[in-house]
Amino acid sequence: MMFYIHKAACISPQQTFGDIDIEQLHLSVDNKLYAIEPKYPHFNGNALRRMSKSTRMGSGAALPLLADEAKPDGIIIGTQVSGMEENGKFLNQIIEYNEDMLTPGSFVQGTPNTISSQIALINNNKNYNLTHVHRGLAFENAVIDAAMLINENPGHTYLLGGVDEISANNYTLDTLGGWFKKEACQNDELYNSTTNGSLSGEGATMFTVSGSKTGALAKLTAITTIHSTDTVIVRERIKSFISQNLPNGEKIDLLLSGENGDARTLPFYLACETLLDNQVPVARFKHMCGEYPTASSFALWLASNFLGNGLNVPQHMLKKQGDFNGVKNILIYNTHKMGQHSCVLVSLVE
Amino acid sequence: MNRIVVTGMGVISAIGHSVQENHAALVSGKTGIIKGGGNFPSRYAGLLPFGEVLINTDELKIKLNVTQPGVTRTTLLALHAFNEAIADAGLTVDELSAHDTALVGATTVGGMCLTDELYANTHGDTENIEYVKSFDYASVNLFIQNRYNITGVVNTMNTACSSSANAIMYGCRLIKTGLASRVIVGGADSLAKFTVNGFNALRILSDEACTPFDQNRKGLNLGEGAAFLVLEKESDAAGKKIYAQVSGYGNANDAYHPSSLSPEGDGPYLAMKSALDSAGLKPADIDFINAHGTGTENNDEVESRAMLNLFGTLPNFASTKGFTGHTLGAASAIEAVYSVLNIDRQELYPNLNFSQPIADIGLQPVLDHRPAAITHVMSNSFGFGGNCTSLVFSKP
Repeated sequence: MMFYIHKAACISPQQTFGDIDIEQLHLSVDNKLYAIEPKYPHFNGNALRRMSKSTRMGSGAALPLLADEAKPDGIIIGTQVSGMEENGKFLNQIIEYNEDMLTPGSFVQGTPNTISSQIALINNNKNYNLTHVHRGLAFENAVIDAAMLINENPGHTYLLGGVDEISANNYTLDTLGGWFKKEACQNDELYNSTTNGSLSGEGATMFTVSGSKTGALAKLTAITTIHSTDTVIVRERIKSFISQNLPNGEKIDLLLSGENGDARTLPFYLACETLLDNQVPVARFKHMCGEYPTASSFALWLASNFLGNGLNVPQHMLKKQGDFNGVKNILIYNTHKMGQHSCVLVSLVE
Repeated sequence: MNRIVVTGMGVISAIGHSVQENHAALVSGKTGIIKGGGNFPSRYAGLLPFGEVLINTDELKIKLNVTQPGVTRTTLLALHAFNEAIADAGLTVDELSAHDTALVGATTVGGMCLTDELYANTHGDTENIEYVKSFDYASVNLFIQNRYNITGVVNTMNTACSSSANAIMYGCRLIKTGLASRVIVGGADSLAKFTVNGFNALRILSDEACTPFDQNRKGLNLGEGAAFLVLEKESDAAGKKIYAQVSGYGNANDAYHPSSLSPEGDGPYLAMKSALDSAGLKPADIDFINAHGTGTENNDEVESRAMLNLFGTLPNFASTKGFTGHTLGAASAIEAVYSVLNIDRQELYPNLNFSQPIADIGLQPVLDHRPAAITHVMSNSFGFGGNCTSLVFSKP
């Protein structure tokens, strides 16, 4: 199952929204990569204040994609725990006021389907609307949802997105869980780190996708999800994914690797690299967006822009140099917390 | 056409710990909504009525042989229902771990049932560190996946009160598009300080047992529970008990307000309409509607108007929220089991606590248990964020 990506917008810790410039790397602050948010001139002040950060970023990234088109036939969002900051506020109210005299605003804004429903409100869109929350595969499951819908209705267009935010709550929880570095580490040094944990990141990436090839940025040729903590099994699954989905006579021309500076996840990324020819360049993206459960949506934005928008792969991304002439097939491989993995094959529209 | 059929079911709710116990309570009209069950820590535990599952978390762990740390009540309820469903469908260990078996579950509370522990954790206190891995929604299905080595598609969705209806819909679509041959679909939620205070702050919790579709309704009661259904292609189900067919589903958004439905009920109307369309049925084909019917001012009136707009003359309808309370992410799955029972047993169950129709609407739900010829049942679920989903189940 496949679809075409027509538009893409991304609010991330790098200059990806509006005038795109990813050559210059924006640096992390206190081991976190915060999104560079626009001013959101299209939202009124009260609405903006009420929105959680993820809803703000998600709606903000969706807006340019909704501007000059017919309403999408559905809105499909992947997020692990968007609204966690709002949940945290409500959690604090519950404990601090001993369950009395609470205001519901944070409770309502803290539910993860607020992003898709807020976009539906802005777009007055009564069509299909779904929120996937399956942790590190939340965005991938949203992609599979969109692929199934397009398979059923090739003429339809869907808004597809991946959103997560850094909140005090999830940052503390994932630090306790050992997923973020405890020592100071800047993102331009991330891959030199030999310790466990990564840097925390966030972002909102939105796509319009359909079965129509005309004018598309890129083609999402195939996707698979893998559940395993065994590098041998994961390597075999990536291998069969490539052989099953790569057209005859073609090769992977670029690997977008989710390597994140965590010593525990490195063996998976290295295992993936060994499947490719020596000449294939390898580019990494987590030093740009940080680690978050829907970071693969950031990688899909990069791949779409490399293939269809003339964006060059900046030097700071390259782990292994190679030939970028005639790049046709990009493999995105990512793992979140080692148990959840995904492969996405993104191809040039010919 | 290869139809999608229900070959197994499992449910745990305030009215019973199995399909059989739930059925017995539905037949006898015995509610599970009580004050003071005492299994979740909240100042409202003894003050407001809830649909509690009357088995405490430690007992559940022992019963289910769960010894790992960090397993939440939501997960235990899910596992309880999941175990019953797969045993009912006779799924083997090999079938469970086959690449074409999918698990799609829903929850709105997930690990957030541990409100106090989470609070301590998020403030950097490491005492309850075993729960830092299970605070999110996905933790429920990831636990089940690991326990049964499920290798196919695994997904979690959260669209508030319609979550598990979407899980059922999604499972059907995985089968239709060939991404899975069999799916285990459902949802789970446990009572939590988090949701109790959220709904209380919205002032939609009733201090008495809820009275769906009644003129004098005062709000909803929260409940907890879980349900899973095993769905297979009819061609793969030879020799198995087939309870019902999943014949239609529709998903729409009300696009009106974050926490209430539009007066016209566009979202509910469109969800019901597209479920009928996908089943290839006319409104008059529906024999019974398991309504969302939460007992809130807003939902019951809007749902009534939307049903009237679509059906003209309504078929029999009832809400089962008076038995279980509103179990949020589990509600649609639990009610899917009840809808399937309507078909399998050819009978209707009562809408409890009803005495007076809503003024200007005048609709009266089913008030008693009685036999009935049932071919097609619609089940409605409408959630915050305007997320509305309707399902249609049919006689196999």
